[in-house]
Amino acid sequence: MIQKKICMVGMFATGKTSLVQKFVYSRFSEKYHSTVGVKIDRKQVEVEGTTVKLLLWDLAGKDEFQDVPASYLRGSGGLFYVVDGTRRETLEQLYALHAMAHETVGDVPTIVALNKKDLTDQWLLQRDDYDALSDRGLYTLGTSAKTGEGVEDAFLWLAAATIKS
Amino acid sequence: MPEEGGKGDPLPEELDTVPDVKQDPSELTELRRLLVGQERRRLEELERRLDELSLTPEELADKLPDAVALRTARDKQLARSLAPTLQDAFSESVRHNPQNIAHAIFPILGPAIRKAIGETMAGIVNTINRAIEHSLSLRGLKWRIEAWRTGVPFAQIVVKHALVYRVEQVLLIHAETGLLLAEVTAEGLTAQDADLISSMMTAIRDFVQDSFDSGSEEKGDLRTFEVGERTVLVEQGPEAHIAAVVSGQPPGSVLEQLQATLETIHLHFTVPLTNFDGDATPFEQTRPLLQECLQTVVATDRPTGLGLAPRIAWVAAILVVVVLASLAFRSAQRWRAALDVLEDEPGIVLIELERGWRTWHLSGLLDPAAAEPMSLLARMGLDTTRLEARWKPYVSFEPSLILARANRMLDPPASVALALGGDTLYAAGSATPEWIAGLVRSSSLPPGVIAVDVSGLTEILPPELAELKDDVEQHRIQFAIGSVALDATARAILDDVANAFQRLRDVAEERNYEAALNIVGRTDTTGSNETNRLLSQQRADGVRSILAGRGIQGVAMNAFGVGTSDPLSSTSAIDQARINRSVSFLVRVTFGTDRGGTQE
Repeated sequence: MIQKKICMVGMFATGKTSLVQKFVYSRFSEKYHSTVGVKIDRKQVEVEGTTVKLLLWDLAGKDEFQDVPASYLRGSGGLFYVVDGTRRETLEQLYALHAMAHETVGDVPTIVALNKKDLTDQWLLQRDDYDALSDRGLYTLGTSAKTGEGVEDAFLWLAAATIKS
Repeated sequence: MPEEGGKGDPLPEELDTVPDVKQDPSELTELRRLLVGQERRRLEELERRLDELSLTPEELADKLPDAVALRTARDKQLARSLAPTLQDAFSESVRHNPQNIAHAIFPILGPAIRKAIGETMAGIVNTINRAIEHSLSLRGLKWRIEAWRTGVPFAQIVVKHALVYRVEQVLLIHAETGLLLAEVTAEGLTAQDADLISSMMTAIRDFVQDSFDSGSEEKGDLRTFEVGERTVLVEQGPEAHIAAVVSGQPPGSVLEQLQATLETIHLHFTVPLTNFDGDATPFEQTRPLLQECLQTVVATDRPTGLGLAPRIAWVAAILVVVVLASLAFRSAQRWRAALDVLEDEPGIVLIELERGWRTWHLSGLLDPAAAEPMSLLARMGLDTTRLEARWKPYVSFEPSLILARANRMLDPPASVALALGGDTLYAAGSATPEWIAGLVRSSSLPPGVIAVDVSGLTEILPPELAELKDDVEQHRIQFAIGSVALDATARAILDDVANAFQRLRDVAEERNYEAALNIVGRTDTTGSNETNRLLSQQRADGVRSILAGRGIQGVAMNAFGVGTSDPLSSTSAIDQARINRSVSFLVRVTFGTDRGGTQE
């Protein structure tokens, strides 16, 4: 069995905790809980015949007062970026976060979840944004922690990528 | 400096050679002063300096630090020499200005006191916990005996034994990723979520390092933290950390053991540690090493007994077994007692008795006259559905059963009691002649009886006949003095007698009895005996002929004249005479035609 440390990285209130909760416990809450520090969950998955135990480090989101602490990122086998598709700034800030994370952990498998996909009427991201992401070699996937869309796929994709790298 | 002194000595002597011509008068002295006075003063100055000290304070100030360092390195003489002075100086300083000293040591005072108090309190709390836990236990008793035997206060004995701890879980954690490499848990404990714990621990460590040492070069380490009653000791290495979850107060030896283990692991697993990519398989081999961390501590003086919960479980299990066993035992005992009673019961013979899982299997012999075994058991409060019995009929020669059978076969009237003596059946009481005759002539006696004794039986008429007999006998025919004439009243009575006797005869005949009528004539006492006897005979004969005329024939009907020899008695003399001038009746009823003898 392989264990992998995965860090959930993103701006505050993008849905990192909700994605983890949906993935690990299949539950969703509309209430917003700000994560303090880090919360760790665990989920075992099967990818391509290998059992992978994911240790999901749900880091506190970056906001104007607080950066994502680099020390938590150390040793990550994969990075799970979360962008709030209804808040453009969460995507704009992602590039800075990515640069910081890359400096700390180097080239590790990375996915960008464009979250809150269920809020279609408030959706702000466009074709150009997706192109910009893929130009930087970032794999993206639309997700919704509320409906569960894309959640399982995103984590499984990242799990598979970590064992190949 | 004796050598230097030796060198210095010759100098003044050499100088003294100059003023050797001492005997010369004062002019010479004056001359000498003029000639060499200046040199002489310089010499005296030199001489004085040599005598006083070889070092000036300035020189000493230059050399003292080196000298102290040199000497301290060589031995402890300097410290010993200085100690009294330093002590005096310290005392003096405290006496003069305690504030200074207080200010000086303040920074170390707090931590030192806190440390001391903390350790003492932790020890005391632990000790008290243990003491309470063990005060009533077997262990506590053992300690009390030890205290009493050795004369050491009990508290000290408790401290000696009760400073216990237990390394419950040891985790080997990859330093960079915080992933769990290997984990061992003490036997009998449920493993905590080791992988989550190791990740959280790493996160906490990162947090601690970030929070407390962001500025400084030296990284702060998370060495120990407490969670509830457990202490987590963390030993950090470059590639991996080792963490031990300890209950109780861990001594320093635990940390040393962890350090040594971590070093060994770093030494032997360098390659897997550096190349770790999430696959913890190679670190399975570290388990024996980690196990040692559990075992080493187990070997110290800590309670090796079971925890409270397993102990309660054991006690409960034992109690349940004991209760079940005693219930089963009591049930079995009740059954055995009941079956013993059954065995003692006449007419019941138990041949085979087998205990099944729930039911008893029984086979035996049962006399039909015996008491019903199932109802006997039911009366003793046993669940007869748990008994499976197979009985074979037999005849028991128990006296009580012989009697029971006799009673059933002979069906004696209530007035007859049967008893058994040996093999003879004794009947006592009163019974009708027909029943007695039946008993005597009985061709089939109950099994176990070969003779019947009826000597204790009195014959009585069947009530019907006795009543009819009374009916006849209540009549009396009165005569006038010296007369044999039967008046109309007498004749009417005789009609009644005849009717009553006829009824009696009919019933008697039906039941195989024979009735005979004796007619007894009497007289009063006046007159001679001979006359009276004749008179009485005539009276009886007269009645007899009348009765014969009333249809009573073909039966024994005897007329006797008894005169005065067998008088009827009365309380008054006049009445006595009157009632004896009479004829009265006696009915004889005998059973069966073939039976001789008379029965009154």
